[in-house]
Formats: sequence, structure tokens, C-alpha cells
Amino acid sequence: MERKSVLATEDEAVDWIKNGMTIALGEPAPMSMVRHVIRNRITGLTVVGSGIALDYMIAGGCVSKVISYYAGGGFGIPVAPSFRHGAQTGDIEVWECEEGVVTSGLEAAAKGLPFLPWRGGIGTSIPEVNKDIRIMEDPINGETLLAVPAIQVDVALLHASKADVYGNVQHQGGPGWLDLFLRRAAKKTVVQIEKIISNEEVRANPWATTISNADAVIRATYGAHPFYSRGYYVQDKNHLKQYLEAASLAVNGERTYIEEYFNRYIYGARNHLAYLEEVGVTRLLSLYEY
Amino acid sequence: MKRSSLGNSTVQELMAVFLARQLRDGDHLQVGVALPVPEAAVRLAHIMHGPNMELIFLGARMNVHQLERLPLPEFGWDNRVARWAESYSDRGHRFDQVKDWHRRVFFIGGVQVDQFGNTNLIGTGDDHQRLDFRGPGSVGTSTLTTHVGRYYIVLNNHTPRLLVEKCDFISAFGWGEGGADARERLGIPGGGPQLCITPLCVMDFADETKRMRLISVHPGVTVNEVKDATGFALDISDTLTITEIPSAEELTILRERVDPEGSLRN
Repeated sequence: MERKSVLATEDEAVDWIKNGMTIALGEPAPMSMVRHVIRNRITGLTVVGSGIALDYMIAGGCVSKVISYYAGGGFGIPVAPSFRHGAQTGDIEVWECEEGVVTSGLEAAAKGLPFLPWRGGIGTSIPEVNKDIRIMEDPINGETLLAVPAIQVDVALLHASKADVYGNVQHQGGPGWLDLFLRRAAKKTVVQIEKIISNEEVRANPWATTISNADAVIRATYGAHPFYSRGYYVQDKNHLKQYLEAASLAVNGERTYIEEYFNRYIYGARNHLAYLEEVGVTRLLSLYEY
Repeated sequence: MKRSSLGNSTVQELMAVFLARQLRDGDHLQVGVALPVPEAAVRLAHIMHGPNMELIFLGARMNVHQLERLPLPEFGWDNRVARWAESYSDRGHRFDQVKDWHRRVFFIGGVQVDQFGNTNLIGTGDDHQRLDFRGPGSVGTSTLTTHVGRYYIVLNNHTPRLLVEKCDFISAFGWGEGGADARERLGIPGGGPQLCITPLCVMDFADETKRMRLISVHPGVTVNEVKDATGFALDISDTLTITEIPSAEELTILRERVDPEGSLRN
């Protein structure tokens, strides 16, 4: 018998994501998988995510509920346009939270607890507008705290630098923002990576392994594009602006540009490599680290 | 606003210099995204009187006092910030040492700010699931403002829609419904908002009521202009003054070593 490789294709990984599930997006953004979810027209998802990556999924029609502490736009647009529109029309349900609150909920899930207490958010509207979060009296000292329920995640999608085929992931520059919280909370973790490395290379420096036993490892060089990937490339500002402008026009009723964008980069490109060909080698190589 | 009344500085430069003077050596200064005035202020203070300050931009923690020109990279999620950082905090550890945040100083804006310094990044409207304006979300502000030693509200505008009597939603608790013990009553340990700095004026929170109180108007601004631009009845300090303009030294350092790109001059 041989040790089982977890190297998977985008198609195999996206098969785990069913309509109505809860998925989580890491940071750096796992964009090749985000695009593949959109391409496969998966719907009714609850998405734990933030920023423009979350906005892509909303614009792509995949999302019915968001668990997000921040959905800023950038480049002079204060709020991600599709998120803003969805929250204003009621098309998207917003599970109001905050960074300390969401990490508490993810840790509760990871630890198999029904909830974890948190102080940040006491005195705010968060427990009023999110009825899942309760105000509790702590049984030890009688302090007033939030009880944040476990946030159950079906599939976490992450982007990292390197992994071997057995799911040993090594981040350059450390794992991103909430990635380890998402990995610990999720039932399955899919990690798309810049580069496959040998198992020997992992064992040469096991201290650098940040995630072990990832459920799937996906080859995705430039897979965080148009966002950054630490040690590999910086964000593609022009591309992000192009998306943001198209998404802003779309929520104002002018859908031509977002349709062009999605047709060119997502629906028209059958997989990640086809996407990269569409972006072009000149643009990609201009995103050098410094 | 007439530039001559501010010396040679723009109002954003005036705000940055004023804010820099509030910061003390040894402070740990945490700045989020899209806050150009605090970004400049912490750098200026670091050069001028803060060799033991730490600057924390998102996850990156740095002391760059020794540099001739302080960096202003695009901090939004950009790996290049690591060039100046001594450590990076997001290795799966978020908010797990809040007990030590009394040295931290934080800066916050909002979609709405009320008379007791509560701030709102959630949005405006009556129905949370169908807002008139959906804001970006609370980021980490509920937790930060709960625990940091003190924080400053810094606004890019001063209008009655922004400075309101009561926020439609509160994402960061300031002084609640007022009173010096407003935070203590809820068991909120941090020192709360100290000042609100806008393009028109500076306001503090009166000792007993913790209501916002006008303490200085920027040069060329009248009290009536401030009142008209504020959505609640504003208390006026007995010692109301005019905001001190930047000194030549402050302005030179700000322009040559902190903001050579002129982001505060546009």
C-alpha cells in the first residue's frame, strides 16, 4: 500500500462544495478556487470572508449569507459594492460580527464547544442585530460577556506558498490573517498553493509546517491573483480597480462591464491556467515582489 | 478654508500635527486602513519625540525611529511592509493578548459618531437586514476600543449626518449614554475615546458627562460654523481656544520625512 496523495484538481475540490454550505475564504485570497466556485454556479452559500474576494462571490451569485467583519473596497470605494448592494436590498443576509467575535466563534467550533465568551462587542449593537450572539453572565465572576456561538465551516479555502502532496503546508511569511482559525474550525480544508515541494523538503524543516493534513492541495501558481501572495507577487491594482469599477456600475444597473469581466476571466476561462493566459504573462510578471 | 489662516499647512496637516502632539513616547500606536491623518501623525510623533514608540500597521509591528524618511507603503495587505517590521502578528494569533493593550493607542473613524463618542461602521437605517447605507463592517474596532489604553476619533468630514445625536448602530462603544463610569459599569477595561478631531475643530469628552465638548476651533473656523455642522447640541469648553498651527519644524519634518508624496496636501 502507498501513502495517499491529497493533490487534487480544482474540479475535485469544488465537488466538495454543495449549494447551501458554509465556506470560508482565507487571506491571501484563494482566488483560483473562488473563481471555480463561481464558474460552477454554486449557490446559496454562507461565506465567512472579507473584502473584495467576498465581493466576487456575491457578484457571482453564489452567496445568500455573509459572516464578515470587514468588507471594505479600497481605491477610493469605501465599501465593497456587491456586498453593500446585497445588504441594502436584503438579498444578502449579514451575520453581523467583528474580528474578535468571529475568531471566538471559529475557535468554539475548533474546540467542539457550543460557544466561547468574548468581551469586545459589549455595549455595541452587535448582539442586538445578531440574535445568535447572546449576552451572558459569566459563572465565575459574574461579568457581562458575549457568548459567541460556534461558527461551523464545511470547507475552508486557503492560499499558501508551498505544500507537499501529503497536505503538509508551509507558508512563506507565516499563515495569513485568520487562516489557522479557519483551518481549525473547518470540516475540510482545501489549500491552493504556488508550488509543490517534495516531502524531503518538508522534513528538512518541519518547524515551518503551518498546516498538516490539509484535505486537498491544489496547484495554483499565481492563484491569489489579483491579490498578493507573500514572497511571490504583490496585488494587481489595475485588475482590482477594473473589477471594482465594473461591480460598482453593475449595482447601479449597468451590467455590461461586469458581464464582460465574468465572461472573460471566469466563465470563459475553463480553469485557473486558462485564467492566467487571459491575464497574460506580461501583467503577471510585472507583479514582482518589489 | 483659507490656507493663509493655517500658516502654510493644509487642514489635514494641521490635524496630523495636532494628533502627533497627543502621542507619548512608549505608546504602541495601532493604525488601521484608510486613515491618512493618523498614519502621518504616528510617523511624525515617532520622529519628533517617540524613539520608544511602536507603530503597528495591520499585523506589522515596527520601530523605525532611526530612519531618515519613514515609510508609507500601501499597507493594505501588502507583504512589502515586512521590510520594516520586527514582527508580524497574524500567525494564527489574533487578539490573544488583549490584557496588555493598555499601552496601545488606537484611531477610529465611522459612518456615524455620536455625542458620547460611540462609533458606527455597520451602516445607517432602521432595518439591519435592509440598510439605507451599508458600511464596511466593524473590522476589529469593537475589541480594540474595548481594550486599548486610549483612542482618538479622527474624521475626514464634519457634517450633521456624520456627527449625530445617536448612532443608528454602535460598532464601537465609546462612553455609551454618558457618565464617567459608563465603561466601568459594563466591565469595559480600556480608557475610551479621548478626543474627536475633525477638519473644523477638536472636541474632548467632559469629565463628568462624557459628552463631546468643543475645546478648539481650527484657525479661520467660527464656533457657529462648528455648531451648524454638528448634529447634536455641542457643549463649549470654558477654555475654548484656537488650534495651534504646526511649527515650521513640524511642518518641515512632516513634508520631508513623513509625507513627501503630499497625501495630506491634496
